[in-house]
Amino acid sequence: MIYLDSAATTFQKPPAVAAAMQRALATMSSPGRGGHPAAMRAAETAFNCRSELAELFSLSNPEQVVFTMNATHGLNIAIKSLVPPGGKAVVSGYEHNAVTRPLLALGAHVSVASGPLFEPDAITAAFDRLVTPDTDAVICNHISNVFGFILPIEDIAAICRRQKVPLVIDASQSAGVLRMDMTALGAAFIAMPGHKGLYGPQGTGVLLCGESVPVRTLLEGGTGSLSIHQEMPDFLPDRLEAGTHNMPGIAGLLEGIRYVKRRGMDAICLRERQLTLLLAEGLRTIPDLRIYALPGLCQQAGVLSVVPETKDVEVLGEELAERGIAVRAGIHCAPFAHRTAGTLETGTVRLSVSDFNTPAEVYRTLEVFRGLSR
Amino acid sequence: MEHYLILARSVTYAQRMQRALEKTGIRCQIFRAPRDLTDLGCAYVLRLAVADLPQALIAIHREALDPVQIFLYQKGTYREVAP
Repeated sequence: MIYLDSAATTFQKPPAVAAAMQRALATMSSPGRGGHPAAMRAAETAFNCRSELAELFSLSNPEQVVFTMNATHGLNIAIKSLVPPGGKAVVSGYEHNAVTRPLLALGAHVSVASGPLFEPDAITAAFDRLVTPDTDAVICNHISNVFGFILPIEDIAAICRRQKVPLVIDASQSAGVLRMDMTALGAAFIAMPGHKGLYGPQGTGVLLCGESVPVRTLLEGGTGSLSIHQEMPDFLPDRLEAGTHNMPGIAGLLEGIRYVKRRGMDAICLRERQLTLLLAEGLRTIPDLRIYALPGLCQQAGVLSVVPETKDVEVLGEELAERGIAVRAGIHCAPFAHRTAGTLETGTVRLSVSDFNTPAEVYRTLEVFRGLSR
Repeated sequence: MEHYLILARSVTYAQRMQRALEKTGIRCQIFRAPRDLTDLGCAYVLRLAVADLPQALIAIHREALDPVQIFLYQKGTYREVAP
């Protein structure tokens, strides 16, 4: 199988990930739940993982790193901490349902800072118009999960700092690929999955919390701290980590992060962009296929959407799967993005790469596309 | 043997203090806090040698870390000392 669905989950992981998970199952219990070696090994692994993440995203304090089940879990905590029921939020026109559904559930008044694909200046101008001091929060993804569009997050963060409005960044597609300095951005929260660009296992996620940002719990329960008291601890990470930790997941995530650090995010990003450019240029030569990429892949990461003019996207997705190419077809849980780009009616076929894909796989994929177009 | 226990609010906080001490060459171990030392319920302590306490306090304050309480173990009992 040629796996081109890494925007959903990276399938190929560094071998150390599975080995660490197996080791965790055999040797670890849960951090903060005892002083015996199994609990302390778990605590050590969890702390090392927090520390690596803090360093990767320029946070001084590993306690600001909270483990979640996935990015959606983190985004829910972030959004519900900042936006009261009926509150005001500004989002980009490229958001995932992980952002828009919690806002709907809150009955929030949502303004959409919309702009054409791959035009960051238009997005910045839209945020500049819509963000006002009475906005409860700005929530914005860093890279569109449908189109790979890199949003101008530094400019959006600057607008938020100027207006003193908290910013939540959905780093689902960018964590492990694009550098991000949380302290310099001044973001209130950054949410990310562990199972995409950080190469951890499914069921892991991370929420980075800004200093002194109020946090509301989604879950209450045991934390291994302040156990006499019935209120949840008021300090991180315990406040947001009720219940037993996913230690095999965290141990695997730690090895995924170490892989990203060893390889370097710039090197990973370059490889993914090169592969995507190769794909985009090759697909352009195929008739009846609309490609969503600018020449040179300007302002785009390793995610590419295409729309067949003569068949349903799901049919094309199936045909590719039958020929050993794993892609994602449909709406990708992001109707906002499709509405903005004008692809809501059709959906798209999305091809997304990871550091483990090769040019040979891209050439084979192009061959299959050519075969299907005949 | 005489030693100090530095009480931390959580295992993660205890680990931060341990890392701060390690940076200055002070070795310490993390244990569960004896139940009669704290009314917090579950908690963790750092155990360190008596001679290391002054330097240890400088190291953890440098990193803006605050122990919840500090205890001296002497003659079979714990006595709280000012943090």
